[in-house]
Amino acid sequence: MTRCLDEGKLQSYFDGELSIEMMESVTSHLASCVTCAAAARELEEESAFVMSALAAEFEASVPTERLRERINEAVLGDRLAIAQSTQKASGLAGFFSGLLNFGTQRTLGYASLAVVLAFAAIVGVVKLRTTTTTPPQVDQTTAQAGNIQQPEKNAVAQASPKQVSTETPKAELLPRETPKNLVAVSYKKPASISTTPQLAPVKLIPGERSYLQAIARLDSTIKSNKKSMRPALQVEFERNLAVVDRAIAATRSAAKSNPNDPDAADFMFAAYQSKVDLLNTIADARVGGGRGH
Amino acid sequence: MPTPVSAEVADTERAGPKLRKKWFAVWAVIGLLVSLAGSTAANEHSSPQPGEKPGEKIDRTMTVDPQAIVTLCVASGTLKVRGWDKDEIHVRSLDAAQIEFKRIDKTRDPAKPAVRVDVMVLDRSAAANPRLDCQALASVEMDVPAGATVQVQTRDGDITIAGVAGAYAGSQNGDIMIERARKLVEAGSVGGSIYLKDSSGRVNLSSAGGVVEVINVSPSDDEDTFEVGTVSGDIQLSRVSNPKVTAKTVNGTVTMTGPLAKAGYYSFTNMAGDVVLGMPHDASFRLNAKVSEKHDIISDFALKYLSEPTPPPPAKPRTPAPEAKGKVSGPVVTPIVVEKPTVVSAQHVLRRVNAICGSGDATISIASFGGTVRLKKI
Repeated sequence: MTRCLDEGKLQSYFDGELSIEMMESVTSHLASCVTCAAAARELEEESAFVMSALAAEFEASVPTERLRERINEAVLGDRLAIAQSTQKASGLAGFFSGLLNFGTQRTLGYASLAVVLAFAAIVGVVKLRTTTTTPPQVDQTTAQAGNIQQPEKNAVAQASPKQVSTETPKAELLPRETPKNLVAVSYKKPASISTTPQLAPVKLIPGERSYLQAIARLDSTIKSNKKSMRPALQVEFERNLAVVDRAIAATRSAAKSNPNDPDAADFMFAAYQSKVDLLNTIADARVGGGRGH
Repeated sequence: MPTPVSAEVADTERAGPKLRKKWFAVWAVIGLLVSLAGSTAANEHSSPQPGEKPGEKIDRTMTVDPQAIVTLCVASGTLKVRGWDKDEIHVRSLDAAQIEFKRIDKTRDPAKPAVRVDVMVLDRSAAANPRLDCQALASVEMDVPAGATVQVQTRDGDITIAGVAGAYAGSQNGDIMIERARKLVEAGSVGGSIYLKDSSGRVNLSSAGGVVEVINVSPSDDEDTFEVGTVSGDIQLSRVSNPKVTAKTVNGTVTMTGPLAKAGYYSFTNMAGDVVLGMPHDASFRLNAKVSEKHDIISDFALKYLSEPTPPPPAKPRTPAPEAKGKVSGPVVTPIVVEKPTVVSAQHVLRRVNAICGSGDATISIASFGGTVRLKKI
């Protein structure tokens, strides 16, 4: 982010209304831009001043006392009218008239019931749809496309290509959204609702994908072996894997920051190749080798 | 053994209703003969030692072709292989319950010596199920013809090979020591170190976490290459005169000392760790180095820097084909989750150095992402 931040974005930043990525971006920009940092400080001071000046108002009950009195009077009037009409009508007619008498509280009750029923119907329809679909098959291309950003969402990633292409993303995600989450989305600030960190899609360097695919295949081969890895091999594997991963991270960072330098990319590919070699070695070791002829 | 049988036969010759005993004796003799015949068939070319008992040293010998290919494989145990001047394989073990030779030539002409032989070692647990190959827990010593090629594998033990034509050796956690191999050496270990000494021919060594140390290796053919790679182990090469030498490590130090082969090509790649080259004072080479700007190239040699290379062109999309070896079928491909790299450093700038020393006979190519390059005079 090179352009200076506008006031609205800064205000949203202080109000905690930005997404995590945006927050990070703004934070890093403020760290590097003197002008914006000064503007941010000014805005922060202003906010603090306003908050302190209006503190008494904020602490008072809302709505105001006068408004509360008016509401109470109206509710009392309604109750009296209902009581009088109940006395007039008796028996079955009185019951039905009571049902159809939409007082304030009853109106709210009916509305709540309608909302609950509608929600239950939506959930039911969506569940019915998901249960009638074919068993999930793995779509390699979909999985590898990086659409799914969290490993927990494998079930969505493993949907058949047809399903993925025809259904809207919203329809796919609905069964996974719990009502609690929906409520949280409605009433809480966006910044505070994301309980799980979302991984931002990272732009791959040309040629990187084929290495990632090979690594994913080898990794799953190693993990698919049901025999547990012997401790000595496990220790050695993890130690060296950490070394290679560090090298990949470092070289990748260099390649990203020097996009026009093929040497930087070469180092990254060399690091990836080291990981592929290591995984090949471990996969061979886990299979047990044999005599090889 | 024959004594009790003859005693039983003598008993049967007593008068009276001893016919049943006579029949028993006859069947006992037949059973003994059958069992002896069976054991001879199982060890076709073996020569069991007289008085051999379980728990004692087992010793087997077989005549083979002078250039035979011999494989030996156990789950755990030390393996020692030595080349000798006889056209025989001689295998012995104190731990094994059984040792057999399995001839796997395509043409199994019994008149000709075996060209390919599997040495089957069974310990007491595996003896009950001979199909479990390479599962024995036993240390084995083996002599093979000096012209033989051996393929030796263990999981948890050390391997020592000396005086053979070709050596393939693999151990997961043990060290591998090879001496006086003449044509070919391939060795790999996950956690162990590899030592190669006084050998010639094509060489390929790899260890993930162990050190690789090589002393006095030369080519037996003009095409013989020398390749070595580690992940976190150091690489130490001394007097390697193969025309093409490649050393790669991720996090180790690469050290090479000795004269350079004329017109030789030396390639060293590492991500972290130094590259140290010790060469004679009259070494003649051309240096192509890619190093981090944060690290130095320290040279005892007078280097003549060549013209600055032109700025690198924009990176072209490339599709390198990483090799995922055969055993990748079956399991489901998990989604690729690309996380942001955890290393957030200042901009890492690389620089290229092209220089020449003397007439530039050999070529040294160094790619060091995060280490210092030292060129020393020895």
